[in-house]
Amino acid sequence: MTKLVLERLQKRFGAVHAIRDLDLAVGEGELVSLLGPSGCGKTTTLRCVAGFEFPDEGRIAFDGADITDLPPERRDIGMVFQNYALFPHMTVRQNLAFGLEMRRIDRAAAAARIERVLGMVQLGGMAERYPRQLSGGQQQRVALARALVIEPKLLLLDEPLANLDAALREEMRFFIRDLQRRVGITALYVTHDQAEAMVMSDRIVVMFDGAIAQLGPPAEIYQRPSTARIAKFVGRANLLPGTIEASLGGASHRVATVLGPVAARHDKALAAGTKVTLAVRPEAAVLTAAAPADRPSFRVRVEQSYFLGGAVDHVARAADAGIVFVVSTAPSNALAPGTDASISFAERDAWIMADEP
Amino acid sequence: MTAGVLPLTGSAPRKPRRRWLPAHYWLVAPALVLIGVFLVLPYFNIIVMSFRAPAVGAPYAPGFSGGNYLRILSDSYFLGVLADTVFLGFVTALVCLLLGYPVAYHLARTRSRFRGLLYVFVLSPLLVGVVIRTFGWLILLSGNGVINRALVDLGLAERALTLMNNRFGVTVALVHVFLPFMILPLVAAIGSIDPNLEAAGRSLGAGRWTVFRRIFLPLSLPGIQAGTILVFVLAMSAYVTPVMLGGAQVKTMPVLVVQNLIDNFQWPMGAALALVLAVTGIVLVWVYARLTGALMRGVQ
Repeated sequence: MTKLVLERLQKRFGAVHAIRDLDLAVGEGELVSLLGPSGCGKTTTLRCVAGFEFPDEGRIAFDGADITDLPPERRDIGMVFQNYALFPHMTVRQNLAFGLEMRRIDRAAAAARIERVLGMVQLGGMAERYPRQLSGGQQQRVALARALVIEPKLLLLDEPLANLDAALREEMRFFIRDLQRRVGITALYVTHDQAEAMVMSDRIVVMFDGAIAQLGPPAEIYQRPSTARIAKFVGRANLLPGTIEASLGGASHRVATVLGPVAARHDKALAAGTKVTLAVRPEAAVLTAAAPADRPSFRVRVEQSYFLGGAVDHVARAADAGIVFVVSTAPSNALAPGTDASISFAERDAWIMADEP
Repeated sequence: MTAGVLPLTGSAPRKPRRRWLPAHYWLVAPALVLIGVFLVLPYFNIIVMSFRAPAVGAPYAPGFSGGNYLRILSDSYFLGVLADTVFLGFVTALVCLLLGYPVAYHLARTRSRFRGLLYVFVLSPLLVGVVIRTFGWLILLSGNGVINRALVDLGLAERALTLMNNRFGVTVALVHVFLPFMILPLVAAIGSIDPNLEAAGRSLGAGRWTVFRRIFLPLSLPGIQAGTILVFVLAMSAYVTPVMLGGAQVKTMPVLVVQNLIDNFQWPMGAALALVLAVTGIVLVWVYARLTGALMRGVQ
């Protein structure tokens, strides 16, 4: 069931076109991430949904009701800010009680709800502390609790993990995702961190320059990016320009590249002669000392290798083609710098994108 | 030499010489001397003077007594002037707060390129000397002044309004000059409030007014406290403005002090009046700071 609908949203700030013709539908209980570099319009979109900004054109509807012109206090949303925005002069309990007071919920019921939500975010016993007496992670959970305690219809999260250190950030990804699922609340999540979006979202909206570049589940965005720019932004990708030689029926194509003809896939048949770009993920490419017998490969020299713990990244150059490839292998298959080697990849791991150098 | 340890240079470790005071402390000595000679000593002299008895033909008579204080505290005239002075300070501070808060809010939040110019406007009353500024108010407020002429000529008033030689004129002029002392601390306090707090409050269901009352106002209390104390103290101790714009109608403690010291040659009485004003001010500010401090628990 569709919960939140954005229709042909437009927003300009002077000469800056912050949101261009944005359409989006978020289903009940779904968590959708707006992912993009800074300045792509993702935060502006969120602020339009929250009611802190009003779109120049277009419509925002919630549960079928138009809320485009409603002030934020009448939208029934819970919002988590990047810097948490906890009220510094109120204790944790008072922070949580604020929204309940605005909803005129009687004291006993409010107290019970606050206890329950504090338990959910594992902050029982912290109710009388002031925000400044809490760690960053605890403040983050208070912010989450304050947004959830009012039992809003929609949860908005604006880069909520950006101010946490790396270890805590990873932990909180799962924590927030789990909490969102348990509560069953519809959520819109803004982030510039593709790993975060990948882990947490039901669907990802990749935004560039105020417009949606691609919209789909994390695996689809990662494995089948529609442009080279998306392939580079979401994860790492080796990009290889080429021309379609022949469609081999269905998704399979033969593509001419500087490395020779390569088998690759696209979701529909492309005409021969089309200029395209191939994306091969570093972990999908195969690096071997000897050339594999069963499929085409090209010779490279390993220039650098970086030990990452669970994997080793190799930077390899195909000298005659002037191409640099990044290949990630298991440590047991790692090759030393200076080694001559072969790179190959399976057809299913070479994804064809409409050309965009 | 034992192995593994680097040999130290020959001399035994030097004992640091304990100084009576670290050398850099002496840098404040000139300032301390200045304050001692020109502030502490004169104040001490005023305290001593206030316990002298008045005399004819001499600044004071021999011996000490609390007679001056007894007279001030039992004379309804002096107490009335003291109350008027406190009231003047209170009203000036209140009006400055009401006028200054919106300006401070704007200054703290604006990203306009004219921001610097706005600061110049706010500080402009302080760029003109007190006498010249007060003459300016005379030209505007007097019975034959610009405002009255305009009102009468436009037919908005039948005859000239009394805009000066009363509390109104004094308050207007004091508010004008002390407004910067209210606005600047407020800008500092408001500027340190995270703008997202307002958004957070709104998202939780509070309207603009509730957000202001419950979140913004409490968090700007430190600025309100600092500004009101500054303006209150400054207004209470103002001399030139009440003298020039208050006429015979408005008597404040500083006016009375100067009258006694210079016009009537009553040094002991003048000193006692000055001290009563100072102590009253200190006590009121202390009580006020305690009260507002209780409100601000948790703000900082």
